[in-house]
Amino acid sequence: MGRTLATGNNVAGHTLALAGEANRHARGCCAGAYPITPQTEIIEFLSGFKFNKGRIVLVESEHSAMGVCIGAALAGARTFTASSSNGLAYMTENIYAAGYYRLPTVMIAVNRTLGPPWNIWVDQGDSLMMRDAAWLQFYCDSHQDLADTILLAFRVAEDKRVMLPVIVAMDGFVTSHTQMVVDMFEQEQVDAFLPPCVIPHKLKHDHPSTFGGMTFSSETEHHRYAIQQSMEQALPVLEEARDEFENIFGRRPAGALETYETDDAETILIACNTMARTLHNVVTERRANGEKIGMIRTKLFRPFPRKELLAAIGNAKRVAVLDRNHSPGSGGIFWLEIAATLKDHADILLQDYLVGLGGGDVTPENIHAIIDDMNKRTTASEPEWKDTSI
Amino acid sequence: MMEITICGRGGQGGVTLAKIIASAYFLKGKYVQAFGVYAAERSGAPIQAFVRVDDEEITNHNQVQHPDHIVVLDRTLIAPGMDATLKPGGYLIINNPVDKTEFKDHFSGRKVATVDATSIAVANDLGTRTVPIVNTTMAGSIARVLGLTLTEILAALEHLGFTGPNKTCAREAYKRIHITTLPGEIHQAQAPAGKVRVADIFDEDVGGMPKIKTGSWATEKPERRRLTPPCNHVCPAGNDVRGFVEATGQANYDLALSLLLETSPLPAVCGRVCPAPCMDTCNRAEFDQSVNVREIERAAAELGTRPAPNRSTREAAVAVVGSGPAGLSTAYQLARLGYPVTLFEAGDELGGVLRTGIPSYRLPRDVLDDEIDYILSHDITAHTGCQLKREDMLRLSREYQAVFIATGLQNVSDLDLGETDAPAPVQGLHFLEKVRQGNERLDGQRVIVIGGGNTAMDAARSALRIGASEVRVVYRRTRTEMPAIHEEIEQALEEGIILDELVSPVTLVDSANGPVLTCQGMKLGPPDDSGRPRPIADTSPESRYDLPCDLVILALGQSHDISILPEGSVIKEGEALLGLSGAPFFVGGDFATNAGTVSAAIGCGVRAARHIHRTLSGEDLFPPPEEPIASSDQIRFNRFAHQSRAAVKTLDPDQRRRCFDEVHLGFQAGPGGETSVGQGAVSEALRCLSCGVCNKCDRCLEYCPEGVLKRDDKTDGYVFDLEYCKGCGVCMTACPRGAIYMAEL
Repeated sequence: MGRTLATGNNVAGHTLALAGEANRHARGCCAGAYPITPQTEIIEFLSGFKFNKGRIVLVESEHSAMGVCIGAALAGARTFTASSSNGLAYMTENIYAAGYYRLPTVMIAVNRTLGPPWNIWVDQGDSLMMRDAAWLQFYCDSHQDLADTILLAFRVAEDKRVMLPVIVAMDGFVTSHTQMVVDMFEQEQVDAFLPPCVIPHKLKHDHPSTFGGMTFSSETEHHRYAIQQSMEQALPVLEEARDEFENIFGRRPAGALETYETDDAETILIACNTMARTLHNVVTERRANGEKIGMIRTKLFRPFPRKELLAAIGNAKRVAVLDRNHSPGSGGIFWLEIAATLKDHADILLQDYLVGLGGGDVTPENIHAIIDDMNKRTTASEPEWKDTSI
Repeated sequence: MMEITICGRGGQGGVTLAKIIASAYFLKGKYVQAFGVYAAERSGAPIQAFVRVDDEEITNHNQVQHPDHIVVLDRTLIAPGMDATLKPGGYLIINNPVDKTEFKDHFSGRKVATVDATSIAVANDLGTRTVPIVNTTMAGSIARVLGLTLTEILAALEHLGFTGPNKTCAREAYKRIHITTLPGEIHQAQAPAGKVRVADIFDEDVGGMPKIKTGSWATEKPERRRLTPPCNHVCPAGNDVRGFVEATGQANYDLALSLLLETSPLPAVCGRVCPAPCMDTCNRAEFDQSVNVREIERAAAELGTRPAPNRSTREAAVAVVGSGPAGLSTAYQLARLGYPVTLFEAGDELGGVLRTGIPSYRLPRDVLDDEIDYILSHDITAHTGCQLKREDMLRLSREYQAVFIATGLQNVSDLDLGETDAPAPVQGLHFLEKVRQGNERLDGQRVIVIGGGNTAMDAARSALRIGASEVRVVYRRTRTEMPAIHEEIEQALEEGIILDELVSPVTLVDSANGPVLTCQGMKLGPPDDSGRPRPIADTSPESRYDLPCDLVILALGQSHDISILPEGSVIKEGEALLGLSGAPFFVGGDFATNAGTVSAAIGCGVRAARHIHRTLSGEDLFPPPEEPIASSDQIRFNRFAHQSRAAVKTLDPDQRRRCFDEVHLGFQAGPGGETSVGQGAVSEALRCLSCGVCNKCDRCLEYCPEGVLKRDDKTDGYVFDLEYCKGCGVCMTACPRGAIYMAEL
């Protein structure tokens, strides 16, 4: 396809379709689909796409949408779907099922605030709600990152060493409905990048089996442990996938995290998705004024790349986390993970900022204010609310 | 980097415009970003969209704060301070007719580019008249301001799939854009207001009216209207049918009766004998069954209390000749208006055909007497046994200030059945009169009635009741063409009367076994003057046959006897007869119209009274022209539940065929249950859909998504809060009876 102008939803729909088509010489592809703002255009695109070997099944709810993916994956198909916010909430039971069944489904989470009250704007709380469901989670900041990561997701998910489903998240409206420049893929390239989907435990007519039957604690414990081990494999598999991607597409996609100006940084800000993009400019500006400031974009959330993050933080002594999400009774969810990561580093001042909850427009001025606040700090405090109305 | 803010209204294509501009620069190799602010972007609501253009990859994702240019798609959005964030040197690019410059003072010092994009778009059929889509047009004007070539902007349109009129419009706007710099100084940006207090879920005023006056989003507004229900339209007496039915539904029988008594003094009569065209036209017939209006009228007459009669207050006296329903109606209406009335009746008793033409099993004597007594209780003097002739008219014209002639149809149609020794055929009306006086018996006799109207049915059923062993009705067309009331025909057949369709009598002869009526079978041919198929003799040999009988009754219709009027009088209802000196003469009822029903006669009486009143006093009491009729298209049947009619009681055919007891007994227990007349009437009346007239069912109020409808007791209806009403039209759709429509703002 080449360089084109597209919205995030166009990119997602198109890339999913290409990935699904790539399995046309194997068991084909299948998606269970149900619409919800701001993901609907993905479903519309997939419904209109002519698959050589694939079906989009329109169902009555998100719960069934994931049910279809589970069933189709157990039959050996490459599966995918998309949802947001309360749609993801409705899907939860089956999201856990796909994870615990070890099925390599890819789901686009178009991040949208959970309700009530009713709210259509971006907030990472919906996909983060699924962090314990045994799914990998990637957070994409740009249209290009989204396109690339969807392909990486299939590659990593379907790898025998991982064999777990993957959420690929993007910002609702700010990415999904915003038109930007992106390099899209040709089918031949995707065919070359994605090997046929092989699901080792799929249903076999000559070797019948049941799924999800009762187990005792020891078997369950074993099952959970195996999942954790596969999660740990995800990082090396991701690196291999990035290498293969670079060979075919001529550029290297972002991995577990991206750093900018962190080498000699004294203060580092950590964010994800489009907020990280806006942050990028602010860092550039402050660097131009001589401040030793850097940023880390956390792209991989599950498994949480603790080693990589520690390495990226390096010698910085002040770390600010910008969370567009919140776990009531505690704090921002990225902050919680990062705090666990820094458990052996009491000398680092770690401060959480809750920014843009419920979809607030995060401006460079907002970020400047946060950096100014960090610069004045001598100690960390409880998570700071930087929403526009607090 | 260049940043543009687009201000428009939902439906004008603001977000797409952002994409068009972005595409133009993308095709030139730039990095671009285009997005809208998604919120309440429904048609008409204010929206914003943004464009960023840069040579390098764009990483800012927040909304544009300080645009290089501002585009305004709808000039009603213009407000002071709108340009506060615009960078110096930036343009306001506005969809605006060149001659309208109200915004001059808001944007002093600014560079302003205007073009009337709305006119261009409408002229090229883009969008609708109320929501024209101006984005592709504005793309042309924006391109010109930004320094894009026409080719470049057209390429962008093509890239997004816009063809034909869109390109034409862009070209037009590119050419016609008018650029100027407004005089004066640029307004300083206002200091930002303090933080707005955000409501808490536990606040007391949660749920109050919003601060945004969403009425400005509307392109249409709801209006209430009152259509004419089809029953009201078709009632020959001009009754407010829907009105008295609604009052009955509320068990307000007094109100129901007083509404009826406005136009008809004979509700107990009509509630028994009216053919009820209202029921034929009732919209509910399409849904399950028409409302049983006739029965409700009867019940209202039975259960309501009549208002006390008034006394006369005027000098002018009126004479009414004929005390049938038309005469009674006119006398009643004039007496109510305060005129003293004198009523002249040729017969021994008042009532005309009500008395002599309708048998008591349909209309009991005491019911008729009671209604006539009420009429007479107004200032009306009645003279019976008073046959007036032409020579009396001169006297009347001098003694009274107005005269009304309603002598009905005195002449009966005859039929020549040949010379015979058999008993001569009897005229139906004369037969009925003899039956009424109680002097007739026909035990064991075979009776043939010739005719198909109400008199034929009355004669046939009366003959049965006075002992006839067999009664046949012979009619030359089919049952469908018979002018008698359907229920009459049904009840006659239930009672065992035989209907011989497509038969015409030829001769009546005597024979050894008694009289014989020779009959000719008929076929239906093309329509005749009456609009009904012409009966044509069937030429096959078996089509002629004999019917033995003992008595033949003729009921072939009547005509008026105009000998009471001067020669050469032209009879026209509603116009005073010319050529008579003294008081004006009016005519009405069957005498003038031959309409043939009690309700038509009553209607004549109402109009005659108004004519007379207007002639004598100058006051015009005729109602204004009717509102459009509420057809079944106006009714949303799926809002109603099916409900069968309330049970009515009728005497068994076996019980009733030998006596003159009232056959139809009105709302009473059907088989099994005990229901009072009132319960039946209320339940039947509640089936009325109130076509075209608001009955305050509150459905509009309940369904309004914005809560902008309230009950308004001052106007006896509802009031719309147009400050907030968005013109969505849900109220119109929710109303099941067409009482609300949407008008353009």
